[in-house]
Amino acid sequence: MTATDALSHTTMPPAPPADVPVTLRINGAERRLAVAPWTTLLDLLRGPLDLTGTKKGCDHGQCGACTVLVEGTRINACLALAVMQDGRDITTIEGLAAGDALHPLQQAFIDHDAFQCGYCTPGQICSAVGLIREGHAKTPADVRELMSGNICRCGAYPNIVAAVEQVMGEGLAGVTANGGGTSR
Amino acid sequence: MRPFQYVRAASVAGAVAEIRSAGGGDDSSTVAPAADLVAGGTNLLDLMKADVMRPAKLVDVSRLPLAAIEDLPDGGLRLGATATNAVTAYDERVVARYPMLSRAILAGASAQLRNMATNGGNLNQRTRCYYFYDTATPCN
Repeated sequence: MTATDALSHTTMPPAPPADVPVTLRINGAERRLAVAPWTTLLDLLRGPLDLTGTKKGCDHGQCGACTVLVEGTRINACLALAVMQDGRDITTIEGLAAGDALHPLQQAFIDHDAFQCGYCTPGQICSAVGLIREGHAKTPADVRELMSGNICRCGAYPNIVAAVEQVMGEGLAGVTANGGGTSR
Repeated sequence: MRPFQYVRAASVAGAVAEIRSAGGGDDSSTVAPAADLVAGGTNLLDLMKADVMRPAKLVDVSRLPLAAIEDLPDGGLRLGATATNAVTAYDERVVARYPMLSRAILAGASAQLRNMATNGGNLNQRTRCYYFYDTATPCN
């Protein structure tokens, strides 16, 4: 290797892998984007798409603050690559209300004072939407267990469970109402 | 996360070819493979954020037709590699015939993670040891 080769090697790193085109349906609106492969769904939502309702807590899938619904199923957006969601339907906290009419879970969280600082709340609510759709929670203990992927450092847990229970009691029809038109 | 290339496999053969052409696949212990498979990503992406796993390329196998849970002639079940933990744990046949498996799955992680994580990824999950997550230790 000549000195020139060595210099060019050190000053010209290989070009990073190219962006990948993806089409996502986010809160009912189709978005065509080009994203770097290492972009998480969370960073795409909060960055380029300016949907900052979805929160970054631990960024390691442990706290649940980033919970969103993909094809109606709750997941941790921090552990999902945006490129792997191509063609899918994403619902974030911004897509739950129907105009000015709050989603039943949003209203229930207010009714039961189910938050203090509010940082975990978007994830809690999206997670609860997914929980009710899954249909496996029959008792308050089930709700607590199946909401255990959402941490609340303010300790609003009893009120969160009460809010989720209220909506479960109202029946599934009210829960799947979705202003973004993205429920399945 | 370090930059990497991404390709979505259209078939099982295609996924194998992608791994082979990248020169990976022979040493499953390496933390910096030329190419690695991704489906649920819950373990791999976490390790990539921690800079423990450093694949140059990810081959997405999540959409391959490997998610079925099928009855076998001997009365057993075949659990698809890309079936999620949640789908597996709540499958009525798994609940009825393999209740310990169902309950074991539901005792782990969270609902969100179980909705993402796959059976194949579970079997290939890296060690949970704290030292493995520490890139300054010799074990990775």
